[in-house]
This record gives sequence, C-alpha cells and structure tokens, in this order.
Amino acid sequence: MNVLTLKNITKSYNSNEPPALNDLSFNCQSSEVIALIGGSGSGKTTLLRIIAGLEAPDYGEVILNNDTLNSSTVFVTPEKRDCGLVFQDYALFPNRTVRQNIIFGKGAMDDPSWINELINMTGIAGLEKRFPHELSGGQQQRVALVRALATRPLLLLLDEPLSHLDPELKESVRTELLKLFRETKTTVVFVSHDIEDATAMADRMVVMHKGKAEQIGTSNEIYKNPMNKNVARLFGKTNFIPIKLIPNAPYSFTEKESNEKLVPVRPHQWRVINDPTTDLPTFNGKVKSVINQVSHKEVEFETSQLNITLHLPTNQSVQADSKLTIAYNAEL
Amino acid sequence: MAAYLIKIAQYWLRFIKHEFYFKLNAWTISALVIGLVLFLPMAEVVWHLTMPAESWEHLRDTVLGQYIKGSLILVVGTAALSIFLGVSSAWLVASCKFPGRKFFEWILILPLAIPTYIAAYSYFDLLDKLNPFLIWIRLNISTEAMALVSDAIVYPVTIIVLASVLYPYVYLVARAAFIQQSNQCIEAARTLGHGPHSTFWRTALPLARPAIIGGVSLVIMETLNDYGAVKHFNIPTFTTGIFRTWLSIGDLPGALRLAACLMVLILFLLILEKWLRFGAKFHNNSKSDRPFKPYELGQIKSFLAILCCLFPIIIGFILPISRLAYWASQTIENVIDSNFLILTANSIAIATAASLITVLLAIFLTFTSRYFGSRTINATNRLAILGYAVPGAVIAIGILLLAKQVNQAIGWIMTGSLSMLVLAYVVRFLAVAWQPIDSGMERNCEQINNASRSLGVTAIRSLTKINIPMLRNALVAAGLFVFVDTMKELPLTLILRPFNFETLSTKTFDLAQQAQIPESAVPALCIIIVSLLPLIWLNFQIRNTEK
Repeated sequence: MNVLTLKNITKSYNSNEPPALNDLSFNCQSSEVIALIGGSGSGKTTLLRIIAGLEAPDYGEVILNNDTLNSSTVFVTPEKRDCGLVFQDYALFPNRTVRQNIIFGKGAMDDPSWINELINMTGIAGLEKRFPHELSGGQQQRVALVRALATRPLLLLLDEPLSHLDPELKESVRTELLKLFRETKTTVVFVSHDIEDATAMADRMVVMHKGKAEQIGTSNEIYKNPMNKNVARLFGKTNFIPIKLIPNAPYSFTEKESNEKLVPVRPHQWRVINDPTTDLPTFNGKVKSVINQVSHKEVEFETSQLNITLHLPTNQSVQADSKLTIAYNAEL
Repeated sequence: MAAYLIKIAQYWLRFIKHEFYFKLNAWTISALVIGLVLFLPMAEVVWHLTMPAESWEHLRDTVLGQYIKGSLILVVGTAALSIFLGVSSAWLVASCKFPGRKFFEWILILPLAIPTYIAAYSYFDLLDKLNPFLIWIRLNISTEAMALVSDAIVYPVTIIVLASVLYPYVYLVARAAFIQQSNQCIEAARTLGHGPHSTFWRTALPLARPAIIGGVSLVIMETLNDYGAVKHFNIPTFTTGIFRTWLSIGDLPGALRLAACLMVLILFLLILEKWLRFGAKFHNNSKSDRPFKPYELGQIKSFLAILCCLFPIIIGFILPISRLAYWASQTIENVIDSNFLILTANSIAIATAASLITVLLAIFLTFTSRYFGSRTINATNRLAILGYAVPGAVIAIGILLLAKQVNQAIGWIMTGSLSMLVLAYVVRFLAVAWQPIDSGMERNCEQINNASRSLGVTAIRSLTKINIPMLRNALVAAGLFVFVDTMKELPLTLILRPFNFETLSTKTFDLAQQAQIPESAVPALCIIIVSLLPLIWLNFQIRNTEK
C-alpha cells in the first residue's frame, strides 16, 4: 500500500533560474525506507521540506495515505500533516529538557508507554531531565528521533541524519536507526549525500540531479544498472567504455548528449592478463601512474582510445610506463 | 516575449494563491491589518499632498531653500563628525592596547543617554559669550556681515553638540564590526607589509563600511528628527519649518508639503543606504578564526589614544552632565513639587504603556511573518517600521489626519487623547523593538519553529512555549529601548499630548523656552538617569555575548 505519493512536483525559487525540482514523481510503500540521494543543489532537501509542508510546490501533488496535502487548490499546513521531521541539526528546543522536548508534539502524551518504549529502545533513559546542550551529538540525535516518533507519524522525514556524526559512531547509529525503523514499522524518507548511508539503510533510493529523479530503485539495481554517468559516479570512480569495444557487456546505457551507448565499468572489474587467449575483452596500453592505497593500487592506464582507472591488488607488481594487457570481467 | 510574460503572470498567480489563499488565517489577517494601520499615518501625509496649499508657492520662494540648506548642512556636518568620533574611538578600543581601554570601551556609549535638545541646553550660554563680538561686527562692518559670521559660528556649534551625543550610534556598530572582523584578514594585511595605519585604511575600514553606514543612517535620522536643539540655536530646518508653518501660521497644507519634502529626502537617504550596502558580505564568521590580537601602543601613542577617547566623552557626557548637575543643585528646591512628581509619573506611565504595547505588537508581527513564511506580512511589517525613519513632527501630522478621519467615520474623538499619543509612540518606535526581536528570531527560532510545526503544535503554543522564552533577552532589550526613546521624545509629544499633560521632556523644553535653562536641568537629569540604566544593561549584554 502506498503511504506517500508524489506526482509531478515542480518548484522554482526564481523564474530566471532552472527549477529546484522538476516534474518529480515517486511512491513510497508502507514501512519502506527511501533515501533521497544526490549532490548539493540537487533539490533533495527542498523535496523533503515540500513533503513536510514547510514549502509549497509550484505544481504537483503530495498525497499521504490517500489524503491530498498539496495540489493546485489544497495546501495542508505542516502542523496538520502527519509527518515527523528530524532536522539536520536536530532543532531541539534549548529551553526545554529532554522529556519536555519529547512530549512537546501534538498527542505525544496520549500514550506514555510508547514514549517510554522509544526512550528505552534508543538508549536515552536517564537523560530525560537534561537540557539539549548537556547531551552529546549522538544523544541529541536520538532525542530528536524520539520526539518525532512520539506523535506516531504516518511518515518520518530525516534530513541528513548521519552527517554530523564521526565515522565510528555513524556505523553504529545506522544499525540502530534501521533496527528502530523495523521495530516501529515506520515509513521513512531520508535525505543523504552519502551513498554508503543510503545503501546501508534504504530499501530503495531516489537519485536526484538538478531537481529531477534520475533513477529510482534498490541500491543493487542502481549500482549494477545506472541510467547515466551521474548515477554511475555516485558509487565511486567509473570507466565509461563504448559498447563497440565490449559488445558482450551485460548492461549499457545511452548517453543523451552524444547518443552513444556506454558500458559502466568499475575500476575493480579489470584484471591484468598474461594469457593472450582469454575470452574476455582485452585492452593493450601503458601504465600512466600508480598510486598506492590501503586496500589496492589505483592505476591510471592509457590505451590508444581510452583512459582507464583500474584497481589492482596491493601484491600485484606494476610500474609506471610499463606496458600491460588488461581484461574486463563483468563477474567481478 | 509572450512566453516570458506568461511565465511572469504564472509566477504572480502562484504567489497570490500561496500568500492570499494557502497562508490566510487569523494570524496573517490580523498582522496584515495591524501593519497597514501602523503605516497609515505616513500614508496620510503623502495622500494629503493632493490638498490645495495656497501658501506653498510663498513657502517655496521664501523659506524652503533655507530649510533645505539648514537641514543638509546639519546632516552632512553631524554625520561627518560622528563618523570621525565614532570610528576613531571604536578602532582604538577594538584594536589597540592602552591604559583604560576597558573603561573607555563602555563609557564611550554613555552620551547616547543625553537627548539632543538637552545637550543643546547644557551649552546654552556658549553662544552668548560671542554676542559682544557679533555686536562689534554689526556696528563696525555691517548687519549682513554679522549674520554671516553668526551662521558661521552657530552651524558648527550645533553640529558639535549633535555629534557629541549621536556619535555612539556609529561607535557601537563600528566597534562590533572591528571586533567581529576576521583576524585572518588583518593578519594577512600585516604579513603583506601593512602597518596598523595602513591596515586600518585599507582593510579594517573597508570591511566595516556596511556597519558604519548603518550607524550613520541612524545619526542622520536623529538629526532630521531633532526639534529642540535646532529651535534653541535658531537654525531653520524642515522640522522647525513644519512647526512654524503649522502651529504659528496655522497652514496645515503647507506643513504637509514640507513634511512630504522631508519624507522624500529620507526616502532618498534610505535608498542610498541600501545601495551602499547592497550585496555586501564584509564579515567572516569563520569559527576557526582566532580572536583579534590588539596592537600594543607605546607611551606617547597610548597618551594620544587616551586623549582621543576622552574628547568625545568630555564634550558629549562629562561637560553636559556636570553643568546640568550644577544647575540642578541650584534650582532643585524651586522645581521639585507635587506637579513635578505628577509629570514624572506621567512620563514613566506613558513610556511603560508605549513600550509594552510596542513590544507585544513587534513580537506578534515578527512571529507571524516568520512562522507562516508570509512575504506579504514581511512587506507590511517593513512599511510599519518606516515610522522610525520619519521625524516625529511628520508622524504627528499623519496621526492627526488619521484621527480626523476616524472621527468623521465612526465619531470617536481620538484627538488630544492619551491613546492617540501612545499610538504615535508605537508608530514611531516599532522599529526599535522590531529589530532585536526579528534578528533574535531569525538567529534562534527559524529551525525550531519548523520543528514545532512538524510536531503538529499550534502557533500560539509555539509562540508562548518556545519563542517568547528563547527571546527573553531580546524582549527586555526591545522594551527598554522603546521606554527610553519614549522618555526622550519631544516633537511628537509636544504636538499630540493632551491638554495640560506634561512629561519630563515637555517640561524640560518649556522651561528652556522660558529662558529658565538652569531650572530645566532637573527634569533633564531625570531623563538622563532613566536613559542610563538600559545602556548599562546593554553594555553587560554585549560583554557577555563577546565572552
């Protein structure tokens, strides 16, 4: 069942500039976790604010649980939507204690046992009498989450929920959040610019670029079958090889500008070939540079037609200016 | 072209739909009405320009030139001297180390407690001492030569008197700008071979320019609003012209035209200020920046710095206060009686009422505009706070015209009532309360208001449980500033006060007009003492913020 439906959402801030959101549509199922992912200026936070009712779209519809929240004649104010929003910097009320923050929402006091359950689940028991400035970043984030969930919203919105956390804390918070969403059966839309966070937490992701949803799908689908160069690059360095050079490649996309069919090849999908009789598509060329990384060697490789980045094992001996033959292996 | 026009039309249709359909509720409608009502007195002045003014041609040919000349000389002179005193002292206390620096830092703002007309009265006998010299010129040269010399003396004296109490507007903003400037910029200038002198002119001063322009614009508004000082020194300005044309000659249309000319002049200055500050981001709030390290001054330079900081305090505070205190000690027994207590109570009561109502309206208007994100309310708020830029005399005329129309429409006689006087104070000083509340709300409440909306909470709960507790300091500051400004206000009170209603400021003025300046020292000192308290509080707040 669809909890959230967005239809043709368009939003401009200035009539002389391209729209911040351009004809964007997608659905969100019950208990599903959706990530809005994209670079800065892609419109992901604007979309989140539109769903929350903090901005109004120029065109399009926002439907939550069959109730129209935005259309050409309807605008439901934020306080009347059943959406909880957790802000990037948490927006806790500094003049209220943790408990006062949590019970501030409309109807939050209707079910004290639910609040206690949330407090226990998130591990903030014992902090109820403290003020926000007396908490660590991670604790503040949990309070903001509990505050948003205390009103039992139909939809939980999170703006960059992990951006303020250091890498160590991030991983444990990711796991905790997912566990919380599963246990509370919450439908979630969250914004992130970090593909790792999105991959780890989201059932599906909406890849946004210049206000458009470029691709919607699971992280695996998007990783394997990106629609264009932008989407492919979200997952890291990618080589784009014309299909004529790898005719048997399992997937390719057509680049709009050049109308050329390209195969996205990840740097680890290459290997050095010593056996010239291999069935794999091979490329001969020269090593331009070698950079030692912790887990691999990053090699810039040059053929007569292409520049290729490949990752080789650290124990593989390779020198700059040496000549090599490499092969593409889609199975890797 | 057609596509572009269609795009513009669509944009406006969407804007109208969002503003007047989606965002329409009891809050926004009330804020819209209040904002427009507070703007009405200014609109009345402009609207009544269509009235025939028989004497306008006569005024234009005879006195208008004098009013323009007088106002411009005072504005330019006072602004220039205020910049000199305010910026130099601000740079010294912000960037140099010398004995007494901390003391000067806060004492330099004290002249702000002295209203311009009281500063003028405290120097009342200064020009008298020059009378024998002027008489000698008249007898030995000519009357025209005497008038010329008299002008050459009276203008500079008035400029010095006005600047000596108005320079703190520049000092406060310039000091804050110098302190907040990026240390990296200053250090970069020093590593590029610029000494303190060169760093000031080529880096610090250009970086502080937008803030200084803001301070100077306040000095200019206060100069144009002044009535007591220019009347005392007999300088023809727009404000004295409005009083003379209306109250002495009884020519309201003529006074209205003069008021409109003054409003046009102010509008020009406001546009100029906006233009000078347009698009400027002159400060760097980099958190990694280390605090500004002051320059160590040697003995001679320290002595000169002390002199430089002492000069404005002596002419703007110590001399006027000591003279007033001396006169007050001589006349206090004649002045203090039951009537004096009544007028003191009047002043405090009306200032309290005006500050409470102004602060309540300011928080309501600011909250409604920001909470509902209404650009229309933001626009009407901007119109409502224009009153601070408009001299009291012009607002008084506008209020009287409005009262007349209310009387004709619903039969309610507002003229000569306390409610009209309070309304006038609210119109005049709304901006004083609005500024700290609005900036506090922008800084502290924007995100948490969004959070509270997303939690399904009502606007009134957000206002009372979150915004008001968080803005407590800003609200106190706003209330204190309006209270002090109301206590000091003269032209508006003189015109609109009910019959037989005296305040400390009108009593000071009346006694001074009757050549009883020593007697006027007692109410004048009362005003200064009351005005000093919020300045001391403000100083503590600034220090706490800086810490």
